[in-house]
Amino acid sequence: MDVALPSALPEHIRRLWPYAPRFARVNCWRMHYVDEGAGDPIVLLHGNPTWGFLYRDVIPPLVAAGHRVIVPDMIGFGLSEKPTREHAHSLDGHSANLVALVRQLGLQHITLVCQDWGGPTGFSCALSNPERMRALVIMSTWAWPMPPAEFHTRIFPWRTMHAPLVGPYLLGKHNALAGRGVYLSVVDRERFRQRAQTAYEIMLPDPETRLLTWTWPRWIPLDAEARATARFQWLERGLARCKLPALIIWGREDEVFDAATFAQRFKQLLPHAEGPHLVTGRHFLQEDSGPEIAALIIEFLGRTPRNGIQ
Amino acid sequence: MTAAVGVVEPPDLTGKRRALVLTEDRVGHYPEFRAYFVRVFDLDRLGLTRPGYVVAPSGGVYELVFVGRSGEAFPSGVEINALIDALEPMDENLVDRDLWAILRWMIAGVGAPWSVEDLDATGRLYRLPATQS
Repeated sequence: MDVALPSALPEHIRRLWPYAPRFARVNCWRMHYVDEGAGDPIVLLHGNPTWGFLYRDVIPPLVAAGHRVIVPDMIGFGLSEKPTREHAHSLDGHSANLVALVRQLGLQHITLVCQDWGGPTGFSCALSNPERMRALVIMSTWAWPMPPAEFHTRIFPWRTMHAPLVGPYLLGKHNALAGRGVYLSVVDRERFRQRAQTAYEIMLPDPETRLLTWTWPRWIPLDAEARATARFQWLERGLARCKLPALIIWGREDEVFDAATFAQRFKQLLPHAEGPHLVTGRHFLQEDSGPEIAALIIEFLGRTPRNGIQ
Repeated sequence: MTAAVGVVEPPDLTGKRRALVLTEDRVGHYPEFRAYFVRVFDLDRLGLTRPGYVVAPSGGVYELVFVGRSGEAFPSGVEINALIDALEPMDENLVDRDLWAILRWMIAGVGAPWSVEDLDATGRLYRLPATQS
């Protein structure tokens, strides 16, 4: 199946994802996105190994509330182009892909909703284009170096999972992250297995298409010499100076990016931020609490000035 | 099973074909993995002159082609080829089990803090076929 064509998606997934596909050229790659509704834009950013589908329960309430909702698939995931060489991917490159989309669409007064790698890429976009931003919504992510969580220092399972040759075998040949990995990171696993798991697995049908699932983990800084350390230091400094209105939403059951550590650290970086609001969810909290997340964003934007200045 | 993987001399390739079964672009992501391959296959001396070969539990021989990139320590990557009869299809399940054995051999050779026990536990966590008895 050519999953670059949304019409090729299985019927049960198309029912949950009825949106018109749109494509943009960003840094020589083909990026898929959806663009629904009208009003000031809310850009919903996913991470590894998901795609816009993760926000399927968030989009309708936002559109109904009078917002324009844009959901890009990161290059390497979803219906976007999937480079087949590890060197094609970098943190700055992915951030620049988002910047390219934002500028092509001429977006202003943007609310960026950031989860997982949608955090570091989204924050990079926001801090380098502050004049276009209205607000930030922060969910299960991080923006500081060395390391994001104690979990990421462990040999079992994290570092083993993406170790040389093990990553291409485990996450490539066996699609472990899009399958069981996401399954383990939601609360209602049975509902996820029945309704959503296929939508993630089917987007990464062959080992070569799964490259980013083991490449992203390798971009997490574990020491001062790591290639992304300087960027994460810049992100941390930038967020500490950021005055954009912000909303922190976290999964109550998130045991990797646990709320007590991560949501509170964002609260320290952004003391003016609202929250953290805890909802049912592990790392992929959108799977368990999509409508609740949408309601929190709608209420937050109802209180937030349009020019992004508090 | 780890002991069943071993380095062998270059085999006779007559009547064989190379079937690419696994590719790693960044073997030095954790430098101790690159160091292991350099040590086991004498790569500081041999460089790109010839691939390395290992025999797997099935008796099949696998070729390790080391890849260099300008500006990076050698090797930067590695490609694993199954050497199989030229016109015969590959037994995917057999190759999968062999690859898992090669990974266990690699992890055992790289050594602490990496361990075969952690690799096996990771495989079981993700329900890999090779870890299901």
